[in-house]
Amino acid sequence: MTPFSFHQPRDLQDVLKLLAEGSAPVKVIAGGQSLLLAMKERSARPARLVSISALAAMKGIRFNAAGELEVGAATTYAALAKAKLTGWHAEIAAVCGNLADISVRSMGTIGGAACLAEPRFDIPALLTVADAVMHVASAVGERSLPPREFFNTRGGTHLHATELLTHITFPRVDALSTLAFEKFRFRVFDAAIVTAACAIRLTGDRQVSAVTLVVGAVDLAPSTATATAQSLVGRQIAGIQAGEVAKLVAAEVLPPANRTDHHRRYQAELVISLMSKALARSGATKAEN
Amino acid sequence: MVPISMTVNGAPVSGEVDERTLLIEFIRDVAHLTGTHAGCYEARCGCCAVTMNGETVKSCNVLALQAAGADVKTVESLSQQRLSPVAHITTQSLAGVYKPLEAMGSSHADLHPLQAAFHKCHALQCGFCTPGMLMVLKTFLEHNPRPSRAEVRTAISGNLCRCTGYQHIIDAAMEASVAMQPNGG
Repeated sequence: MTPFSFHQPRDLQDVLKLLAEGSAPVKVIAGGQSLLLAMKERSARPARLVSISALAAMKGIRFNAAGELEVGAATTYAALAKAKLTGWHAEIAAVCGNLADISVRSMGTIGGAACLAEPRFDIPALLTVADAVMHVASAVGERSLPPREFFNTRGGTHLHATELLTHITFPRVDALSTLAFEKFRFRVFDAAIVTAACAIRLTGDRQVSAVTLVVGAVDLAPSTATATAQSLVGRQIAGIQAGEVAKLVAAEVLPPANRTDHHRRYQAELVISLMSKALARSGATKAEN
Repeated sequence: MVPISMTVNGAPVSGEVDERTLLIEFIRDVAHLTGTHAGCYEARCGCCAVTMNGETVKSCNVLALQAAGADVKTVESLSQQRLSPVAHITTQSLAGVYKPLEAMGSSHADLHPLQAAFHKCHALQCGFCTPGMLMVLKTFLEHNPRPSRAEVRTAISGNLCRCTGYQHIIDAAMEASVAMQPNGG
């Protein structure tokens, strides 16, 4: 690690002030599980490290007045995994309880993963499929970004160096009927080779009224299969063949022309099998084989 | 250099350290508790696992500054009579390696149920990963008193052991889970 000074403000405004100064390279540290690894190999060399762990307001899970699930950016995976959430919100807890390993989950935070925007991590794809809103603050004001404006398709995020992600809101529990998240990795603690997730809203007679299909790790930002999703709207969920739809998703997010090497072809196969699993869990008809 | 203080195994420890000091370095070099092993420094092997405010963390991937004021517990906290660091190694203490418990003036009964189970089930060979395994499994078993073998496997997925092939570690965890139940199993 290169030398740095460590700041631990007790107030959000002090954090924003430090970020606004901009005289030396600044990094915000939440849990530090990815940042410290980068600093050890010197791919990150901040001159100032601003810890947000003393800001209680940025930790924890609550429902706001509109009934949306509000998660502080510095909330750890462990806290989210333990949270008693109902409906499709429970899948958020399940995803956070099934990544990295126990010890990393007690330090790593959802906001940290969102800001790192590492394509192979689960959080960017989860935020995208759930259509979560990222709330960002800086010394000059606040703004709220949906996933497609938060994650940069060229990698990373659209956050400015002076901005801080303060909290994330997930839609109300009745906004979706199901959310299914699937991933594949070689070892339990590895980052995923491919993640696939679908979020579906059904009408009373189990007709699809809205659907989002997201694939992670095949591109620098989570990929959304918009055309395939659009084709499912208005159909009965039980009449949807999971395997067939999954093939369309793979063709959309990873077109055959782009499957230039072994890794890409493997990823395409994984997209089909994982998306098929996610759709089947959401009530679509399972593939024959 | 910054002053840091924290509680390690119930005792206050303070020191003035460089900002870059990792928690593992603070524990080993400032608190002089060398039971926690530094393996990979990449948050991979899990040998350095300790509990911080009741949650397991990999101390090689946490700055000492992040742990300032925290309540840290290391593997030494499991067996009370070993809380003080070894001042120096003597011929006598080395001669005791074949009877390690006697060498440290301890007996089987003094061990934490998890340590006793590791001893009984031969869950260690070289012992390098053991401090991390013990700390992760202790927290895990306290929260999951009746785990399945598969759950134990997942719990220690962040802890690498190159000797035992994990089978004996899982045997020990299953054995300890019974002994650690509130009513004694």
